[in-house]
Amino acid sequence: MTDTVVVDVEAEVDIAAGGRRDAIIEIAVIYGLGVIVALLVNAALLAALGANPVTAYGTIVSSALGSVGGLAQTLNRMTPLLLGATAVAFAMRAGYVNLGVDGQIYAGAILATGVAFLLDGWPAWLLLPVVLLAGVVGGGLLASIPAWLRATRGVNELFVTVMLNFVALFLAEYLATGPWTDPVAGEAITVPIPDAANLPVMLPGGGHAGILLAVPIAVAASWWLLRTRRGFEFRAVGANSLAARFGGVRLVRIGVIALVVAGALGGLAGSIEVTGVHSRLLTGLTPNFGYMAVLIAVLARRSPVATIPVAFAFAVLIVGADSLQRSVNLPASAVLVFQAVVVVTILAFETPRGRRWVSRLLPGSGRSATDGSPGGPSAAGRGPGGPGPGGDDVGGHATGRGAGTQPAGEGA
Amino acid sequence: MEFLAGLVDADMLRTTLVVATPLLLASLGELLLERVGLLNLAIEGMVAVGAAVGFCLVFVLGRSAPTVIAAIVAAAVAVILIGAIFGWLTLQLQANQITVGLALLILGLGASSLLYRGVVGVTTTPPSIGTLPLWRIPLLSDIPYFGRILFQHDLFVYVGLFVIVPVWWVLYRTPLGLRLRATGESPKAVDALGLPLMRLRWSALVAGCALIGIAGSFFPLSLVGGYSDDIASGRGWLALMLVIFGRWRPWTIAAGALLFAWVEALQFQFGVTSKAIPPQFLRMLPYVLAIIVLVRVYGSAQAPAALTKPYDRESRF
Repeated sequence: MTDTVVVDVEAEVDIAAGGRRDAIIEIAVIYGLGVIVALLVNAALLAALGANPVTAYGTIVSSALGSVGGLAQTLNRMTPLLLGATAVAFAMRAGYVNLGVDGQIYAGAILATGVAFLLDGWPAWLLLPVVLLAGVVGGGLLASIPAWLRATRGVNELFVTVMLNFVALFLAEYLATGPWTDPVAGEAITVPIPDAANLPVMLPGGGHAGILLAVPIAVAASWWLLRTRRGFEFRAVGANSLAARFGGVRLVRIGVIALVVAGALGGLAGSIEVTGVHSRLLTGLTPNFGYMAVLIAVLARRSPVATIPVAFAFAVLIVGADSLQRSVNLPASAVLVFQAVVVVTILAFETPRGRRWVSRLLPGSGRSATDGSPGGPSAAGRGPGGPGPGGDDVGGHATGRGAGTQPAGEGA
Repeated sequence: MEFLAGLVDADMLRTTLVVATPLLLASLGELLLERVGLLNLAIEGMVAVGAAVGFCLVFVLGRSAPTVIAAIVAAAVAVILIGAIFGWLTLQLQANQITVGLALLILGLGASSLLYRGVVGVTTTPPSIGTLPLWRIPLLSDIPYFGRILFQHDLFVYVGLFVIVPVWWVLYRTPLGLRLRATGESPKAVDALGLPLMRLRWSALVAGCALIGIAGSFFPLSLVGGYSDDIASGRGWLALMLVIFGRWRPWTIAAGALLFAWVEALQFQFGVTSKAIPPQFLRMLPYVLAIIVLVRVYGSAQAPAALTKPYDRESRF
């Protein structure tokens, strides 16, 4: 099995190599195209379900952003998505795939709920931080299993994290139907946690303060990755683990940090869901937040800071689709399709051939034809090679995407 | 003693074979893909799509022999379409298999649920299409104990379990199989020999996706009789584990499918009779077992060398 996953390294190399403006324009065009294609595909789906796509899209935006209550809901949904996506992006930066955010949310929620029950009677200023921290510990503990197996046995963390999702889900279901169950409710939910353990409400409509934790954490994660020595080691392992190892980086340590920190962030998302939204543990705590987090991290190009706007957009979609569910009977699962179509389209455009195709759409592409860098199309035109030999100056770099310099037949 | 007898109870072993069928079909499908170098992480979503398509077709057209066959075929075709997106992105455009696979996983989970809601609508009680009738094989089904286990299934189970024979035969006893396996080990060599590399990969992709789709349709048609969004409930992922467990060989995969199905059947056996073990812990068992198996097998397992690596004819390696 593969041990490292390289996701869109080229784009980052491009930016680093100096073609910053071109790269940003290209990324913007690719993402714009991705969103347009997804809008069209989903308009077709909406029409097939008998709804007017234009009014439906209007409903999505107005319900998620048009009122303070809607905005509160959007921020509430954004919180676990952002923490989960930060968890995935963080680990992915070092080349580790954390598919276990769902399980980590449950693990964090379980421990947070347990601690909240245990410490009933403590004052809020003390209880709430302890409960949130319990979630961090829970998620970290669950993620330490794949981290440990990866470090000692070399087992691919991708599979272990997925399997643990189910283990954590069933454990939560057991607790919610067994020891902690609310006998009145008659479904898989526990009795409520003490009031003192609930997150303060910030916005009318139940907008809790979790977002105030999630955004700084995402920023801090990016800062750590870009500005600290260990963060540099992280990125080195993600870019080329073998070279990093020869450079003296201890892969085992990086792997353990990557997965356990990711798990801790997922666990924090779980304890925020418990203390901020539900006030109790229940199954259905995460409607595929974990998978969505992976998509967000991919769209954000593994940059924790960039997950902030993407997570916000995903949250708008979720809240908007919730209201569509009531008005035009659109199933909530349509959101998944929309998100997946965006990601698949963008992934297609980001491949070497897709980028060449996009570059033809860009008005600036003619410029590179006059450049004639010695790097030539053979080196620059092929995909993973990224920037041409003259990658330091913008001109030489632009040949990499200049359709004008491609020999006939080499293009798509 | 009663507990031990329960482990080999005829009804339970019979259930084992039923549960093993979709696991085997899906993991054989995944095996075909991985043997040509494609790691398909979308399998869980594909199984869900197969289940939704199979259910919806029979739900709309009513249950009869032709509609059931049509449902199975439609499930296979639907998953082949998703596989075509996967193949186009990873083979043609050389996108990263893992990210594309995960995106298509979400697409599959969303599309299956959307299709079901679109066709059935919102109902208080989920509709049922009933499961396929059992075919008791004359004489053989009257054998005490073994007759109950082996010869009282519906046709889907018999045919589904038998699929391993052609898959194994093609992979290991035909020139085509040798080429397919070589494609996953050394695409460069296959290409250098002038063999149609892309066509080999695409044919394995189509065949594998068809098997995964059929595995999906098994759940509503043969096992449950209905559909719910968590109908796959990790069986796709388990099938993925089984390929590793079986070290990319069909017969060991089959043995693994039986083992995992037996563990899953425990919950039907003891979930009803015993109140001592909460059912959730029994349902955890297959996933815990998968992790244990992964740890035991992983170090020695040899994945196809070209797995997840995009093939670029012009690269030097």
